[in-house]
Amino acid sequence: MKKFLQNKKLLTTFIVIFLILVILGGSVNLRNKRNTPLLVQSFGNDVVAVGSRIVDIPVGWISGGLNNVNDILNTQTENNHLKSQVTNLGQTKARNQALEAENKQLRSALKLKDTLTGYDLINASVISRSSDTWSDLLVINKGSSAGVQKNQAVMCGGGVIGRIIEVNAASSKVELITTTDKSANRFAVQATASNGKSVHGIITVNSDNNLAFTQVVDSRKLKQGTKVYTSGMGGNSPKGLLVGTVSKTTRDSFGLSDLIKINPAGEINDPSVVTVIKRKVAN
Amino acid sequence: MRVFRKWVLAIALFVALILDGTLAFYLHQFMNIGAYGASTWILPIGIMLIGLFDDTNPNEIWLALGAGIVADISTLGIIGVYTVFFPVSCWACQRVARFLPEIFWSRLIVVIIGVTILDIYSWAILTMVGIISVSIKIMLISLAVNACWTIIFFSITYWIWGNLAENYPFLIDLRAYR
Repeated sequence: MKKFLQNKKLLTTFIVIFLILVILGGSVNLRNKRNTPLLVQSFGNDVVAVGSRIVDIPVGWISGGLNNVNDILNTQTENNHLKSQVTNLGQTKARNQALEAENKQLRSALKLKDTLTGYDLINASVISRSSDTWSDLLVINKGSSAGVQKNQAVMCGGGVIGRIIEVNAASSKVELITTTDKSANRFAVQATASNGKSVHGIITVNSDNNLAFTQVVDSRKLKQGTKVYTSGMGGNSPKGLLVGTVSKTTRDSFGLSDLIKINPAGEINDPSVVTVIKRKVAN
Repeated sequence: MRVFRKWVLAIALFVALILDGTLAFYLHQFMNIGAYGASTWILPIGIMLIGLFDDTNPNEIWLALGAGIVADISTLGIIGVYTVFFPVSCWACQRVARFLPEIFWSRLIVVIIGVTILDIYSWAILTMVGIISVSIKIMLISLAVNACWTIIFFSITYWIWGNLAENYPFLIDLRAYR
């Protein structure tokens, strides 16, 4: 011990490693627990976000130009597909309006105010992504000043793609639904089985980075293609946001519970414009 | 303007940090093959190249430390990944540069080794604190993908970092010597 204390290099190395571990542990704790980051961190994030917006303009032009060429090449196929959809659209729209009016009347009759399905939308643009390959984080250009709060669901391309994990004044960080973060909040979801009953569970990520619908009591009645929605039960996100569709049902490695693979409905790989979902009912 | 010249390298590193995020967003589709992917590491490449081009300026280690703190806060939200790696890699590169031939290929090898170490180090730290849960197999294959992209980023930015490190050393006014 005396020798160790007399060896200045060894002692300094030990102290530095100890300090790094303390700072690392402290910052991880802050990241998970605080609703808003420290003022210094928030300011730093916003400064980088402003820079990202400036750099994003010319890069976006180049990327947009290339995408436009790709869009022109795919126009004919897309047009044929959309034509087939348009015929059903009018009928669906009329039915939706009738159901909405009926829903409103029934709610007022029951004196219901906000339900789990009620939410507001905040539109935002993605300005950057975490540069390392391990963490699935996006930075969007809306923050607390626009009403964004920690843990709100984020959608893109018609499905849920992630959750807000850090809110600054003018920017926020989104953790994608495919994250392998063990401390991440999981989406409580439900699906309607072939016998008409609701099946509840949560969304997790399995070892090959695919989405899975886990903690399900009986999944045998969930057919391939069944749509999986948020149930609103876990707080934070409202009910009825599309997460994905069932692609395969298997048993987990212990053979104890069912493991249902999900094809994500949202645009996870190329989300340029996203929608933050603000739940109306308090958590 | 003299003060500005001293800070050119710091500004360049800030731009590199922003470019990392922007390019990671736009190139993500091309940089990932299934579950395996590469990182956009212009900033770490820049820090290592600065150390290799200018092995006499100790201020650059402090600059790397500052860049590491900013990068950690703005990307991961935790302090301890880039904050540790950047100054250590800058110091190591300055040491290596003293006996390394001053040619493109030797520097490329050093940077590829450095980036591979950063990949493993960041994987280890993020796994340790529970932010990620990526298998060793995926990590090892991703290293190969990452090395390929490192060659591309290195080749594009090599002359820029060389010029900046030699003409605008951090907190040193070269005109004072002329």
